[in-house]
Amino acid sequence: MIHCYKLGGYNIVLDVFSGAVHVVDEVAFDTIGLYEDHTTEEIVAAICEKHPTVTPDEVREGCAQIEELKAAGQLFTPDTFAPMAGELKQRTSGVVKALCLHVAHTCNLNCAYCFASQGKYHGDRAVMSLDVAKRAMDFLIENSGTRHNLEVDFFGGEPLMNWDMLKELVAYCRQREKETGKHFRFTLTTNGLLIDDDVIDFANREMSNVVLSLDGRKSVHDRYRVDYAGNGSWERIVPKFQKLVEARGGKNYYMRGTFTHQNPDFLEDIKTMLDLGFTELSMEPVVCAPDDPSALTPEDIAVVKEQYEQLAELMLERRRAGKPFTFYHYMIDLEGGPCIYKRVSGCGSGTEYMAVTPWGDLYPCHQFVGEEDFKLGDIWQGVTNTDTQSEFAACNVYSRPECADCWAKLYCSGGCAANAYHATGSVTGVYATGCDLFRKRMECAIMLEAARAVEE
Amino acid sequence: MKIQTLKTKNLCESAKKGGCGECQTSCQSACKTSCGIANQQCENAQEK
Repeated sequence: MIHCYKLGGYNIVLDVFSGAVHVVDEVAFDTIGLYEDHTTEEIVAAICEKHPTVTPDEVREGCAQIEELKAAGQLFTPDTFAPMAGELKQRTSGVVKALCLHVAHTCNLNCAYCFASQGKYHGDRAVMSLDVAKRAMDFLIENSGTRHNLEVDFFGGEPLMNWDMLKELVAYCRQREKETGKHFRFTLTTNGLLIDDDVIDFANREMSNVVLSLDGRKSVHDRYRVDYAGNGSWERIVPKFQKLVEARGGKNYYMRGTFTHQNPDFLEDIKTMLDLGFTELSMEPVVCAPDDPSALTPEDIAVVKEQYEQLAELMLERRRAGKPFTFYHYMIDLEGGPCIYKRVSGCGSGTEYMAVTPWGDLYPCHQFVGEEDFKLGDIWQGVTNTDTQSEFAACNVYSRPECADCWAKLYCSGGCAANAYHATGSVTGVYATGCDLFRKRMECAIMLEAARAVEE
Repeated sequence: MKIQTLKTKNLCESAKKGGCGECQTSCQSACKTSCGIANQQCENAQEK
């Protein structure tokens, strides 16, 4: 399977099953498009008619070049992964290597679009005790097999509302690292309101990554991200974020925003983030019910896709001008990216990645917390709901019939199980709108890498 | 006719040494509401 498209002034041919990417001229683009279903002489006739300056011999030479790439496994590579998909997934199953730790099911903001229903996840407000948190870390270590790198995401609600516990827990984990040889990598996701010098010092020392929630323009951010008195939070958090990022000294962080029906023109929010001095950026489409007022409409989706292309063009411009920035969904490492195991297996929700509630229950991921049917077990007994876990273990890119003909399937692994469930009622369904946007993002991401290669 | 082939990881080859599982979990870093694995780094020392 190949995917041919034009973007940013480049003609790009992606060979799906080898991962090869080719940047081609117009003649090659048209020739490759005809190659599989036509004889050489049919291609010669068609190309010479469309491109009068090209000679028949040049087309024949081009066809020979295409045949060489095919023989080298870089074009029209057949799918050899389908029969081994279950085995590939199995190889990455059986261990837990990452936990989303819900240290606070409460929040000091009252954002109407919050998928976690203001941090409560449709349940009671609660904060995680140190005992529960320690046990969660022991559960992770005990179930991590030979994995060296363990990931823990401090999530909520607002995790800084349980800050003292969080600091004690990190100290506990550092001790456990010495005892076990494991390595913890922590991520903190915060709305920023409670950031102070202590948080900045500690987070910049201990957190591998910090995710800072900012929706961009003040008017956009303050529409949803308000406190319980209804006051916007933009002016209070931006200086704190700037101070934290400046002190971070180049360590990983992301400004992470959500765009909704109110701002499908989210590129303006990206520009605001840039103007504020931030360069590591992520903007996500809102996740909500279709009848929610913040939900993206089909008209919005068309706008968003255009915005993605304009964002890629802005990134090209800024890179050429020596002022590059990162957009999370356009990060793609064509040479050193994930192996086929990862590409087939996906995010690992419910198997190698789980969420832990403040009271120690296990769920397949943070987006399933509060959905009682999806409770997998707890950190003391482990996974007891093996039927549900089996559904997640069976999730791979080949378990979704809708993905069969999709060129992007080895970049998304079949997509997000939670989005699929909320859209279709099944974790092995697909969230079609999300797919549409994902494909556009991948086209942009690959184009940016193609441009980098050509320009270098 | 011009075809420039970029340097890319060969996915078929990665089936031989891949699957160590040391790489980052997809949802951990900055999305939390969608799945994309393309932006994950390989952390397999053997494969590198």
